[in-house]
Amino acid sequence: MIPLLVVARIGRAGRRGLPIWIPLFLIWLLLAPLALLLLPLFVIGCRVLRVRPFLALSVGWQLLCGLRRTHIEVATPAASVALRFL
Amino acid sequence: MNENHRQVLQMLATGQITAEEAERLITALEKDQPMASPGAAESRHKAQSKYLRVVVDADDDDGPVRVNIRVPFQLLRAGVKLVSLIPELAKDKINEELAKNGLAVDVAQIRFEDLEGLVEHLDDLTVDVTEKQRKVRIFAE
Repeated sequence: MIPLLVVARIGRAGRRGLPIWIPLFLIWLLLAPLALLLLPLFVIGCRVLRVRPFLALSVGWQLLCGLRRTHIEVATPAASVALRFL
Repeated sequence: MNENHRQVLQMLATGQITAEEAERLITALEKDQPMASPGAAESRHKAQSKYLRVVVDADDDDGPVRVNIRVPFQLLRAGVKLVSLIPELAKDKINEELAKNGLAVDVAQIRFEDLEGLVEHLDDLTVDVTEKQRKVRIFAE
């Protein structure tokens, strides 16, 4: 399943910052029609580069699904950033 | 040795039970776990590991720096599949750039199966590097 939400925290100087909930599912809904429109161009691009389009789509989908439950957190004295894909 | 066995041995060591009782308890525990073959514990551990964790703790001049990254194995497996998507045209350029940086690797010879095997064995990986002011840990969980 693809990630539906991202919780981002951006803080300064030792503070964690407030969590910002980014609803990815809305972005996916908006991008879905665009992706359908761009699909023929994608297939042509794959043909030019001699890449199998179905394989490319499959790997792209798996990468997207794999992002779920990824957690990245970097904290320095000046700032901190945390991203959590849900 | 699992937690139950350890408890039984501790009870034996402290004199709470006799050696015969300990033997009976251990036998009963082993009957309760018929699938506990030597490889079962390992495979159970492998089945449980879902993430690769990278934790860096450092004390720089400006103050402490902490990096905490948790990457699902699913993402790593999908990532290695990208190898099969490298266009033939790009492989020569990648090889040239790698050679410039001292890596004599032929990207065309990297097989997805090998990389997937590598990811599978990351499960057993634990890297623990400790310097004066830096500590890096990479492990599966």
